Amino acid sequence: MQKISNIVFQDLLKNKVVVGYFLLLSLIGWGMFMIESHPQKVILTLLQVTLMILPLMTVVFATIYYYNSQEFILMLLSQPIHRKRLFRGLFFGLALAFALAYLFGLGLPLLIFYPSAESVFLLSSGLFLSFSFTAIALFMSTHLHDKARGMGAALVVWAVFAFVYDGLLLLFMYQFSDYPIEKAVLVLSFFNPIDIARILVIMKTEASAMLGLSGAVFKDFFGSSTGVYISAAVLSAWVLIPFAIARRKFIRKDL
Amino acid sequence: MIEIKHVNKRYGKQQVLDDINLSFDKGRSIALIGPNGSGKTTLMKSVLGLVIPDTGSIEVFGESIDRGPDYRKNIGYMPQINRFPEQMKVNKLFQLMIGLRSDVSKDSYDLSLYRDLEIEKMAGKTLGSLSGGMKQQVSASLAFYFDPEILILDEPTAALDPISNEVLKKKIRSAMESEKLVITTSHILSDLEEISNHVIYLQDGSVHFNKSIESLKQETEETKLNKMIVALLQSEKSHAKN
Repeated sequence: MQKISNIVFQDLLKNKVVVGYFLLLSLIGWGMFMIESHPQKVILTLLQVTLMILPLMTVVFATIYYYNSQEFILMLLSQPIHRKRLFRGLFFGLALAFALAYLFGLGLPLLIFYPSAESVFLLSSGLFLSFSFTAIALFMSTHLHDKARGMGAALVVWAVFAFVYDGLLLLFMYQFSDYPIEKAVLVLSFFNPIDIARILVIMKTEASAMLGLSGAVFKDFFGSSTGVYISAAVLSAWVLIPFAIARRKFIRKDL
Repeated sequence: MIEIKHVNKRYGKQQVLDDINLSFDKGRSIALIGPNGSGKTTLMKSVLGLVIPDTGSIEVFGESIDRGPDYRKNIGYMPQINRFPEQMKVNKLFQLMIGLRSDVSKDSYDLSLYRDLEIEKMAGKTLGSLSGGMKQQVSASLAFYFDPEILILDEPTAALDPISNEVLKKKIRSAMESEKLVITTSHILSDLEEISNHVIYLQDGSVHFNKSIESLKQETEETKLNKMIVALLQSEKSHAKN
């Protein structure tokens, strides 16, 4: 598995898209701290980047990478290698490349200009999202045979988690505002990794006005320290479950 | 060496492999032929465990292939489509494959194809910059590199230049002489007749005939493989009409 993830990882380090992603994040990270003197405001901007650009890049690129590597995967699997191991290697190679691009891109400026608990929380939620969206990308690309469909599905999933889901949740809350829907909202927010990542970070900043209803309910229900554990657990599930389903499919798949 | 029993495979409505029963022994060099979509590649991929049959069993060296990937130590495979990571250099690819095959000791590598196809000359190039034929050369020398007992070659000569073509055919002939099992698919029958002693014709997912080239020669009284195949298919057609 290590050998495979090394191969994938080293291949990705030379990839223009991954390098471009790293440069873009660095530009935003360093640039924001240059032009804005209040780090609390910068961190909110960087949070938006983490919640929008990171999932988009990760899910789209990991999907493309899987489809483009199909023939190479075939060749590797003609060697005495377990499919399980190959798949784990592929996942870790991809996820680590994205995680490191993110850590070095945004992490360096964050920790230099604003070494704080908020920064650490932002970075960890970014790491969770990198792993989670890699797993989601593999989940879809192992299930859809056609590359164009896979790409379409990747974009749809991103759009749903990035803004459509929030819109629907808002509509739901508006329609049922006369009823005690706090718990329902709480449960519904678990189904969106981006929402959970946002809540995880905002609970730790002073910008609690940005929590939104789901975040407010969350904080109210769990309190901010238990809330952190719960959201970390939910984010882990968002890594493990798509990964497990994708792996199951990959093992039984015709290549 | 390979036993295929009652193998069936469907893709949706299409029956790609229809109750295939075949047995391959060492020293055989099999030309696996048939029209496009007759199931040749699917059959080869099933032996490699890349396609999982719906029913039936496949044994390699007496062991079911469901028992794990170790049986593939004995198989060299050359896929139909060769696509490698674009940024990777050729020598890096070989290093990586060697790293994956720590079960093979260094002195048992078979470097003859690597040398004769002059892979060393492309060592510093990235795989993305190689032409289709060069990729096929790389893939061919990889298939033979770990000196496997079984070779599965899916259209190995399709993109090769005449010289590399001869080099590869010579290598396949010598593998045949040293009692290995070679399975080759191709549509270039003139290439196949030089490197095989047995023909399996697949049609619509089932084995249409399975004969040695010698017996084909006697039956059809032809000397060229393409003529033999045509003669055999035509005589069957006229039989069917009568």
